[in-house]
Amino acid sequence: MSFLESLQIAIESIRSNKMRSFLTMLGIIIGISSVIAIVSLGEGGQSAVTDQLNKIGATTVTIGIDSTKAQKSDYFTLKDAEQIKQEVNTIKYVSPTVSERGTAVSSIASKNANISGVTTDYADIENYDISYGRYFNDLEENEGKPVAVIDEDTAKELFGSADAVGKTMDLGPTGAGKKVTIVGIRSSAGSFGGVGPNAAISVDVPISFAQTMYSTNFTISNLTVSADSKEDVEEAGDSAVSILESRHNNRGKDIYTASNLFKQMDQINNILGIFTDFIGAVAGISLVVGGIGVMNIMLVSVTERTREIGIRKAIGATTQNIMVQFLTESVIISLIGGVIGMIIGITSSELVGKFVNVTPVVSPTVVIAAILFSSAVGIFFGIYPAKKAAALDPIEALRYE
Amino acid sequence: MIEVTNIIKKYVAGEIDFTALKGVNVKIEKGEFTSIMGPSGSGKSTFMNILGCLDKMDSGKYMLNGQDVSNLTGNELAFVRNREIGFVFQAFNLLPRLTVLENVALPMVYAGVPAKERRERAMEALAKVALEDRVKHKPNEISGGQKQRVAIARAIVNRPNVIMADEPTGNLDTKSTFEIMKIFQDLNDEGATVVMVTHEPDVAVYTRRIVRFKDGEITSDEAVKNRIRL
Repeated sequence: MSFLESLQIAIESIRSNKMRSFLTMLGIIIGISSVIAIVSLGEGGQSAVTDQLNKIGATTVTIGIDSTKAQKSDYFTLKDAEQIKQEVNTIKYVSPTVSERGTAVSSIASKNANISGVTTDYADIENYDISYGRYFNDLEENEGKPVAVIDEDTAKELFGSADAVGKTMDLGPTGAGKKVTIVGIRSSAGSFGGVGPNAAISVDVPISFAQTMYSTNFTISNLTVSADSKEDVEEAGDSAVSILESRHNNRGKDIYTASNLFKQMDQINNILGIFTDFIGAVAGISLVVGGIGVMNIMLVSVTERTREIGIRKAIGATTQNIMVQFLTESVIISLIGGVIGMIIGITSSELVGKFVNVTPVVSPTVVIAAILFSSAVGIFFGIYPAKKAAALDPIEALRYE
Repeated sequence: MIEVTNIIKKYVAGEIDFTALKGVNVKIEKGEFTSIMGPSGSGKSTFMNILGCLDKMDSGKYMLNGQDVSNLTGNELAFVRNREIGFVFQAFNLLPRLTVLENVALPMVYAGVPAKERRERAMEALAKVALEDRVKHKPNEISGGQKQRVAIARAIVNRPNVIMADEPTGNLDTKSTFEIMKIFQDLNDEGATVVMVTHEPDVAVYTRRIVRFKDGEITSDEAVKNRIRL
């Protein structure tokens, strides 16, 4: 008997019990569709995170210091930045960075401020879009001039309008601010400022000026570096660390670490991946339950068709013939369930994706895996009933009422 | 053709052993038309099941068409049932979901006959039982006599060496009984070997030889004297 023949017999039998076959498939449909929907949305989420991070600046490397191991001489100097820029071909911009907290007081508002002391390169590293005025220049930086660059939203809050070039405010440690002049306004896009009246604003000032504001224990603990391209990020960071270690004579002490968004991206994706796997596994359990449903119905079917099995055996069906017949049936049921589940899974992931603003990624691997897995469920849970059917004694089966 | 020697068949039900066949010896030649008769419990059906390779005996020897089938495995017996034997049951035993034509073609499915040839041969067999006009019907759409004719067509479609019928007219009215017995007689005249279990003497008179069973033993074995040819 050919495979096509068993296929025909199986389809005929499924068709003659439409409702029951559908209910049996339902378990598989729910299992497969939820696994596909969850995995597609998970992968969609991961690629959304990747895209987002690529936009913000995948070429940026931040070099930090392990402050628990570092001595005074290990902290960065302005000369470090220059040397890195000279020696590493793949690095275009370097800015030593200090971050301090303080207050910004204008004539109409007072705000908590995250003050970044940086060099002129920083505007290029962050890809700033200057909407009014300009970023501070080398001269202002070298001389430690009291100038600042803020974003449009901050300008509106502190001065009532986005174009606040030329306006002044008091900036620095709370109660000890110095008068600074706004030289440029950058667009607010891409900044992760907080929201609400108490959220801190971001202010960029020349690092030399930051030093005069925070002179006690002033250390530079970060270098922000921009590599030529995404591909160079990892190597650029390593080269920069290597130069720093030789300049500060602390090679092998692991004081400096270069981190880039790719590393963070990996971490985020890892977490997302674990999350997806976990929910996927829970959905997978429903597949097992669906498989047990298939087995249950196949067992009923075997009992119900005992006489048919007896007749088939009496006219020459072998054990294998009967086995293949029932196994084909359970595989077909599971497979049809798998295909329907796949369609529903893809559709529902698109629908849910629209609500949560994630474009689901349906990978061919998942689709193939779903189909293979549902057939495997059919085989695994079909074997026992099929064996039972095949082992029936023809005489007993013929006598069965 | 069929030669059984000292067949013993026991059933064990709990503590009680029941010996259904107590050493049966029979020889049936090619082309014979034999009735197996006897009261219920006489062992005739058990004997028939063993002859039909549906059941296994506990001891003895069974030669079918020159082949010793006494110790074959389940699948080897399935092969013998498929190629050597054609069955006709009292309860017809057609598959309700299949059409008449598909039912008749079924033994050839297991024999590995190509689909086109199966159709042709099934049509031929149905022509022999005069049911060419019912091929598309389902078994529940035809009468009992017609069902049994379909079953006969199915029994002869694989060109078996012997046709075995277990009370083939047991569920039929007189008219249908005549039809069925005539078909068996025609087949027999064409050379087919037929073995038939029946408890009705009225039916046995259409055959050529009667083997009587009682309590698991053969009590008589004689030619039919006033055979009626329908």
